[in-house]
Amino acid sequence: MGSKKYSVQINNGERTLSAQAGGSLLSVLFKNGILVPSACGGNGRCGFCRVKITEGAPDFTDSERSIISEADRLNHVRLSCQIRIFSDIKIELPTSMFKAKRFTGILEGKSVLTSEIVGLSIRLVNPEEITFVSGQYIQLRSPMYDGREISIRAYSIASLPSDKNHIELNIRFVPNGICSTWVFQHLQVGQKINFTGPYGDFHLSESNAPAIFIAGGSGMAPFHSILRDMVKRDIRRDVTYFFGARTQTDLFYLDELNRFQRENSWFRFIPALSNEPENSDWKGERGLITDVVARHFPDCSKHEAFLCGSPGMIDSCLKVLAQGGMPKDKIYYDKFA
Amino acid sequence: MTNPINDESMKKNLRASIFSADGFLGNDNRSPEEIIAADEQAMKERGIELRELVKLLKSAYQIARDALGVEVNLRPGITAVFYESMGRIPSPFLGDGVFEKGEVVIIETQTGLQLVLTPLGIHLIEKYHFFQGTGCRYRIDPIVVIELLG
Repeated sequence: MGSKKYSVQINNGERTLSAQAGGSLLSVLFKNGILVPSACGGNGRCGFCRVKITEGAPDFTDSERSIISEADRLNHVRLSCQIRIFSDIKIELPTSMFKAKRFTGILEGKSVLTSEIVGLSIRLVNPEEITFVSGQYIQLRSPMYDGREISIRAYSIASLPSDKNHIELNIRFVPNGICSTWVFQHLQVGQKINFTGPYGDFHLSESNAPAIFIAGGSGMAPFHSILRDMVKRDIRRDVTYFFGARTQTDLFYLDELNRFQRENSWFRFIPALSNEPENSDWKGERGLITDVVARHFPDCSKHEAFLCGSPGMIDSCLKVLAQGGMPKDKIYYDKFA
Repeated sequence: MTNPINDESMKKNLRASIFSADGFLGNDNRSPEEIIAADEQAMKERGIELRELVKLLKSAYQIARDALGVEVNLRPGITAVFYESMGRIPSPFLGDGVFEKGEVVIIETQTGLQLVLTPLGIHLIEKYHFFQGTGCRYRIDPIVVIELLG
């Protein structure tokens, strides 16, 4: 049975897709190989599948109203899974999203970085190469196990973009977390892994302004990629990297980052511990990461900041950086929200 | 007003899903309505106001969240630690939106009595009076709340 078709024009005609009347925008994009991130199977619950609709948008659904902020709604942001197509529409997508693909890889290495974080090294088999920018993330798919449902979770890539046949991930164990439990307790070296990506706009800016990096826990991953990429591409931008952890046992990549510091005069690494026993041998910074940043940079008005961590850490950092005079548009972060 | 938790299609979202490994009912054999009714009754018997209880939970969560993982003393013998987690979790009820995944573990050091607070858990109490089933890691038993925070 034939049904009416409408056009979906992307980025002012960069691509134009044909959609059957009543189909969901997310499914039209997927069918045409545009893998918008999604973690809930198109049920309007995860809020990942955001696009901007500039023409032909239907009314907001209740799901969209509850997930998309008012500011974003005014800016025409929509959940593509909630959009049923009943007219020609025009949408905007980050060009980087056209590059996202489905990947299958083999787990080549699994290393314990801390008691809560493991590092995964994945060799890509289909396709065999990935092109990404340091700071971007992938969506890892955990299969069904022990009665758990399939899940999709976002993880930053920790490896170098120049190693196109591999990616590395840092994965933190989350109590009751479906995906992280699978990674920690079930995933074995040699096993197949499926993911999509790369996604995200978080990356080092082109500016030469001195940079402040702030991370905690598995927020290390994008900076591990960015820093090594800077060395590889000989980008000598002044960087101070603050890494917050509770105790010494929560630190990782320490030797490598200290070596980086010795070998690159533009780079300074400042780990800070918030819960280290007072009588320990730790000689570095102590206290909340935000307090340590404020002590080192009471005035950061000429800097740019790059943050990766939990929403709580990012909110606190935003306050401290604002107090130091840093303009909002010079602060880049990814809350994985 | 009918509690939307009674809607059959909503109830299935309380089971284990792609977002919640164990669901929101734990090993509780009661229906969501029965869980809510029992908790409301227990609160009524002890003169606990839901609004006050939610205020206590939100305040405790925020204090611990602001400490970025450093253990804080909420009162003598009661500690709270925030555990970061990236990402967000949607409410099992369509239309409620998504919530931060971090959690705050509150412990009475002498007895080991414990509560695990999440923004979603607090929301479910505030909007649906649903404290989650027994055996669920994230059940916020109203009586325990009063013992630890009241």
